[in-house]
Amino acid sequence: MITPIRPRLTTGARRLLRIAGRERRIRGLRLGTKLMLLVLTLTLVLVPWLSFLALDEVGRALAQMQSHDQLLTAKNIATVFNGREDLLADLPVEPSDYERLIVRAIEGTVRLDGRAADWGEAPSEPSVFGVPGEDGSFALSLGNRRDMLFIYVEVVDDTHVYRDPLYLRLDNADQLRLSFVREDGEDGRIAVMLSESGQTTAFWMDADWQFAEALDPDAELAGPPETRVQGFVRETDTGYALELRAPFDIFGTSVDEQAGRIRVFGLAFVDVDDPESRTIRAVTHTLPTSQNRESFGLVTVRSPEAQKIIEGLAYADLYIRVIDAERVNRAATGSYRITEAATERSWEARAMGWLAAGGNALGGLLREQREPAVDDTEAPLKEVMDSALAGESRALRRRVGEIETIIAGHPIISGGAVIGLIAVEKNIDDILLFQRESIDKIALVAVSSFLVVLFCLIVFAGRLTWRIRRLRQETAAAIDDFGRLRANVVASGMTSADEIGDLARSVSGMLGRLAQHNTFLQRMPRTLRHEINNPLNTLHTSLEHLAQESTVVRDSKYLESAKRGVLRIGAIVENLADAANLEDSLVAEDPDVVDIQQIVESYVDNYSAMHGDHALVYQGTGEPAYARIEDYRIEQILDKLIDNAVDFHRANSPITVQLDVRRDTLRLTVANRGPMLAPEIAASVFESMVSRRGAENRLHFGLGLYVVRVIAEQHGGSVRAMNLVDGSGVAVIVSLPVVDAASEIEDTTPVAAAV
Amino acid sequence: MPKLIAIVEDDPDQRANYSDAITSKGYEVAAYASRQEALDGFDARMPDLAVLDIILGEEVDAGFELCRDLLTRNPNLPVIFLTERVKEVDKISGLRLGAWDYQSKPITLDYLAERISSLLRINEVRANVDNRSATAKQVGDLMLDQDALLVSWRGTRIDLSATEFRMLAKLVRAPGHAVSYQTLMNATMQSLVTNNTINTHMRNIRKKFEKVDPGFACIKSEYGFGYRWSS
Repeated sequence: MITPIRPRLTTGARRLLRIAGRERRIRGLRLGTKLMLLVLTLTLVLVPWLSFLALDEVGRALAQMQSHDQLLTAKNIATVFNGREDLLADLPVEPSDYERLIVRAIEGTVRLDGRAADWGEAPSEPSVFGVPGEDGSFALSLGNRRDMLFIYVEVVDDTHVYRDPLYLRLDNADQLRLSFVREDGEDGRIAVMLSESGQTTAFWMDADWQFAEALDPDAELAGPPETRVQGFVRETDTGYALELRAPFDIFGTSVDEQAGRIRVFGLAFVDVDDPESRTIRAVTHTLPTSQNRESFGLVTVRSPEAQKIIEGLAYADLYIRVIDAERVNRAATGSYRITEAATERSWEARAMGWLAAGGNALGGLLREQREPAVDDTEAPLKEVMDSALAGESRALRRRVGEIETIIAGHPIISGGAVIGLIAVEKNIDDILLFQRESIDKIALVAVSSFLVVLFCLIVFAGRLTWRIRRLRQETAAAIDDFGRLRANVVASGMTSADEIGDLARSVSGMLGRLAQHNTFLQRMPRTLRHEINNPLNTLHTSLEHLAQESTVVRDSKYLESAKRGVLRIGAIVENLADAANLEDSLVAEDPDVVDIQQIVESYVDNYSAMHGDHALVYQGTGEPAYARIEDYRIEQILDKLIDNAVDFHRANSPITVQLDVRRDTLRLTVANRGPMLAPEIAASVFESMVSRRGAENRLHFGLGLYVVRVIAEQHGGSVRAMNLVDGSGVAVIVSLPVVDAASEIEDTTPVAAAV
Repeated sequence: MPKLIAIVEDDPDQRANYSDAITSKGYEVAAYASRQEALDGFDARMPDLAVLDIILGEEVDAGFELCRDLLTRNPNLPVIFLTERVKEVDKISGLRLGAWDYQSKPITLDYLAERISSLLRINEVRANVDNRSATAKQVGDLMLDQDALLVSWRGTRIDLSATEFRMLAKLVRAPGHAVSYQTLMNATMQSLVTNNTINTHMRNIRKKFEKVDPGFACIKSEYGFGYRWSS
């Protein structure tokens, strides 16, 4: 009954020990739970990413909606213009006699500084007159804002000759001549004189462009400057850059047979190169001189009728243009520029401040993804015009500087032909802003929730691993190195409802059952003794009766051997029970402090006196070494150790008993010369029923060293066996904690002190 | 009229062996297998001496209870316990059973018979107070009455079991001289004795003396050899 149980326990206990000692090979990647959770947490990044994708779609949808919206607007406006050729009719249908000077609309305010940068986008290249690059040639741009005509001229001229106020004649310096038909039908001539300071002065001129002339015949002074024409000249590397402004009223309209009322206008640059002779080197006209009169260009400006119609349609951020088939801007209203919106940063944005590191980086990363390739400014406009003039409406996104807009074009149809288009442009900054802020918000929420979740997970995981580790430690500690149960429950996690609690409870259950089994095993020797002693007693007494009844039996040698057998069984059972009872009786003891040195010395003396056959050598300091232990336990230890040493010692070699104190530990060493101890059994010799004596020595059950160990451990000490350094034998060392006896021994009776 | 010896033992073989051995010494024997059987028998006739097994069948403490019963009926009745339970020794001493003895199994039948006759004799001696001083021996503060198995320390009586008494007697036979474990083992007259058993006995003896006199320190250990009485 015993045999099947013991190995079962042992393997079970060993397995537990093995797991505790991590001897088992562990399968799979060794990721700590925390690291694993960290990796899992990183998948949270997917959430803002998906949000971003959704947001991008929303943005695109919004842009799409706006495109549709604008197309619809464009279409609606176009319906007004459909069939209304007359609205665009102040165009000459066949402007054969005139070079068209196209005036473009200027959106913003313009500073007269000799730079056209503030005119806004240029819809077309400026017209160049003269031989490009040669002295006297110039590039001309015309602009229109409200009722003002803006002129920007870039002249190529290597020598700057300004007006000398000493001369009354004006045709002796570089100048710009404007010629037109006045409202009263007369020819109008204005010369714009340049000055080094940049300020220009305009004069009405006589027919020969020599002297300034007063418009009013009654004027006292001839030729006062025309202050309505203002300008600024700037010297450039190649010549002049001249920016002028003049009210439209100065230029009158004339009636053309073909086109009705038109506004005509000519412009010429007079180049004077020699500051001494001041003769006119060349005059570059907008048109070569022809026929009878000054040559004029036809000034094509917005159609006032069309302008009137769309004027009321514009609303915030909407820029409406009417463009004719010649791609000339005929009317425009509104602006796609945002009126400097108060960009009060939202709280999220402000919170971004301190989360800048995480949020902005992430938001920026997401935004980067979203930005579409930047189109160049003109291509989409051109494309929209192309397709609208081909009869197909179209909407495109385009970028103007910082602003991104959507431009939608719809054709204006009259009599089956496309006569122009309506371009509706609106910036989509509100969408972009919405998108940007949303992304920032998402980034913020993502980063903060990421951190919170990460923190929670780490705390959770930390607590989990901590609990598991504690459970593991407790489980490992429940069974000591010798496989004995130290505790039969684990304290941690017993009350938790989760799986770790279950684990703790089942471990506790296991330990409990193991403890039960252990108790059973511990009781076994006692039970055995009880059960065996009775029949043994019967046997013994029966033998005696037999011996008395028959002289044959009494004299038989078999009686003696039978009695020896009975005694031996008795001894075996007794030894087993003693060892099993040892721990209990040790616990019951209340030992005094004794001087181990004295006990050992006296023991060795007595032993030597009794057993002359083997020499016992004592090596001690002679100093007292106090320990709290019953004196006869020391005696018991020495009995067992010396018994053991005698069994293994080489004949005629001494057995050494040594006592030394090291700090708070005393060491009792019994060494003998003889066979060495195999390293693999060095630890196991102290286990119960392990003997290295072999089968021939049946009265030993491997209990001696076990008893020594139990006594030592019960007193807070330890025992180990080791081979002597020179390999000549074995030493068993018992360590016991030293008691600071000086104080403690006074009040106790020195039972063992005197010999 | 032969003395009546009561034997209470649940094991039939052992009971028969004891009965035979004791009967052969000329005593009358009443053998019982259980507590109830024994009590019935005691009702019929009280024995002059009882030999009790402690465990009777399922009753673990049946022997002790019987002993209590017997002693209430006759406080001077000698009782010998037969036990395989060494630990019960402490219980017995705790029961204040006087000088009455216990023997651990396996026991020699001759020895059992000797114990019985010895206890009967002691009982007679004790009954006759006048005889006591004649056999008493004085060693320092210790008074030892070999026949009555009585010990007193500084005039106070100390209850020792028969085995303890014999060991003490061995110890004080030559005060100041060490007595070896072997000698002490012989004194127990038991077949299976280890050093540890002697140590246990000696500890019990010391305790009993210390109870009377906390300063008692006359029993000295001779480590690795035995014990010594020094007054």
